[in-house]
Amino acid sequence: MSNFEPKLVCFSCKFGWGYLGSEEKLASQIKNWIPVVCSGKIDTTHIVDAFKQGADGVLVLGCPEGDCHFQDGNFETKKRIYLLQKVLASYGIEPERLKVELSLDAEGKIIPELVKNMSDTIKKMGPIKALVAS
Amino acid sequence: MWQTVSSGGAHVEEAVKQLLPPCQIKCPINEDIQRTNVLISLLPDDEKSAKQGIIQIGDYLYDKNPFFNVCGYICGLCELECNYKTKGEAIRRRLLKRFLSDYYTDYLNQKKELDVVKDKEKVAVIGGGPGGLMCAYALSKKGYKPTIFEASDRLGGALWLIPEYRFPKDVLKTTVNNLVRIAGIDVKYNAKVGEGDLTIKKLKDEGYKAIFYTGGTPYPRPLTFEGKMVEGQDLSGILYGLTFLDDVSKGKVDPNYFKGKKVIVIGGGNVAFDVARSVRRFGGDVTAVALECEDKTSKDGIPADEEEIVGATEEGIKIIHSRGVRQIMREGDKFKGINSPRCTSVFDEKGFNPQFDCSDCVDLAGDILIITIGQATDRAFLDKGGLLDEKGRLTVDPITLQSLKDGSVFIGGDVRKIGFMLDAMKEGVEATESIHRQLRGLDMTEGRTREYEKLDMPLRSSYKPAVEVVWASPEKRMNFQIFEKGLTLKEAIEEAKRCVTCGPCVSCKACVSLGLQTSLGIAEVDEEKCSGCGMCVYVCNYDSARLVGKEGKIVSETDMFRCKSCGMCVAACPSNARSLVDDATDEKIAAVYASLS
Repeated sequence: MSNFEPKLVCFSCKFGWGYLGSEEKLASQIKNWIPVVCSGKIDTTHIVDAFKQGADGVLVLGCPEGDCHFQDGNFETKKRIYLLQKVLASYGIEPERLKVELSLDAEGKIIPELVKNMSDTIKKMGPIKALVAS
Repeated sequence: MWQTVSSGGAHVEEAVKQLLPPCQIKCPINEDIQRTNVLISLLPDDEKSAKQGIIQIGDYLYDKNPFFNVCGYICGLCELECNYKTKGEAIRRRLLKRFLSDYYTDYLNQKKELDVVKDKEKVAVIGGGPGGLMCAYALSKKGYKPTIFEASDRLGGALWLIPEYRFPKDVLKTTVNNLVRIAGIDVKYNAKVGEGDLTIKKLKDEGYKAIFYTGGTPYPRPLTFEGKMVEGQDLSGILYGLTFLDDVSKGKVDPNYFKGKKVIVIGGGNVAFDVARSVRRFGGDVTAVALECEDKTSKDGIPADEEEIVGATEEGIKIIHSRGVRQIMREGDKFKGINSPRCTSVFDEKGFNPQFDCSDCVDLAGDILIITIGQATDRAFLDKGGLLDEKGRLTVDPITLQSLKDGSVFIGGDVRKIGFMLDAMKEGVEATESIHRQLRGLDMTEGRTREYEKLDMPLRSSYKPAVEVVWASPEKRMNFQIFEKGLTLKEAIEEAKRCVTCGPCVSCKACVSLGLQTSLGIAEVDEEKCSGCGMCVYVCNYDSARLVGKEGKIVSETDMFRCKSCGMCVAACPSNARSLVDDATDEKIAAVYASLS
């Protein structure tokens, strides 16, 4: 168990996270990082697929509340993730494995830290219970 | 480094019929407001790195509007039409531009000259106000050799008349001097065309192939009552507002002249308020008398801007509404007061035609009278130059601005129709286009009338209040220092973020410019898969996803002009019928997921 290294997928909105930083440099620091143009673009199936493909956790970073460039993408995502956490829980998957953070980090400096913190939490939980493809 | 791109895929396109945000339609030169708002909102939050970004935004704006920094003090027309007004206050675009100006104006001193070869014809521009300067700038960009003939010893025209407490003269000087340098404009000062041997004919003889006349309205309009000149306007103690403001700008006013005097200012426009507030700063006890009533929504409402009225009132200026001047009262050859009847109506169907009730007259005593009821053109020049028709009217083609009396003369700006700075500048641009077409033998009118349709406010779950406008208190602002506080970098970023980007992506492309997107996508619909459930319609904030009946089936479709390719409809579609064209997100996700196992 102590050798377990959680695999985390991190989605982040380009309008709120890392738009001033170098995408290349950040990508070298953040494993499995997927910058998207709006967090509202992240579909529930994208998240479920991540778990199916072997991710132990999914972190979604959106813009601060009220700040979405596309009006309400972050709001939609927050709603969607809240509901999805309930659904995942009903399959025995801990809601903590899916997290949304609405904030602003123009340089993207704290993304590696957020990923690490979540990884640490998941490390304690252990690997995800396999999701059986429907 | 903060880097924007304006070419290739990030270039903003123009179309004959174009959807635009309402602010950009209101702006006479259709400035790329949305794009630059978004760029400001994404600036770094430390001053040093932000400065580079501000210069890039400024350079972009400068290309179309070399007076954008001036707008930051005196324009703000765009704010009148901002969609946000339906949910709160307009985006404070003027202050955002003032913010850019705070950094950019100094930078103008080191901005590089235009990189153009001026191998085209010589063009004479008569008048060095915003319209003339803009025309000379636009001509220079096209490779023409413009010469401005300016009657006075300084460029800037009526911009000089705006009091310093609203618009610092240093900003004007820096802007104008650098514009002349950057565009390589030849300027002849104290060159009043129409006087002596400097005539339109002489200009033509000297090889100027076209002439743009933008002489403005250099003369004050005198007081009349029921069609007749009010007598006594030459008395001692009577001034015209225009002359007064010109003297103020040249530092020719004795600051003690007004101290403790009772000053009556006639007029209800912004210029009259500039006069009243300047006199107040010289220590005068000011009463403003306007024909118009207090209710700005009425057809006879006072035309001055609300903030002028509020500011003046705070400063202790008394405003008397709905009164005119029937008679000037004198004591020897000195002004003593006015006899002022009630004005019952200002405008009728024919236009300005004031009606008075002379049974309701009051006498207002004063030491000084300043008449600021409008300006007049240089009719003598127009007449002598053969530019008036037999009825004495200026006849100009409204699209090409070509004089109908002399085909090589183009006329625009206040001389044609009194307007805002940007209106005159727009005419400078139009005149350039006409001159270019005429000299290159192109069709004069083809494709020149553009139609714009405004887009509505997108839907949102929350709205934010505007940044507060901070004025120095009335006690502290009784001088000619600018009294409105500019925005800090943090405030500017926050205010720019409020912009809900109503306009279509093709007229913005801020995200492409900053590299957040590689191209603009669009959501497409697989009609086979679409069940017509309408989830996409519900989730789309831009009224882009809609349901339509097609071959007996209800399906959704995308209005490509309104679609922002945010992907919200794609995520919401339960039938997997929607997808984004030219979008690599799914591939990126697949690649990351493949590396998981």
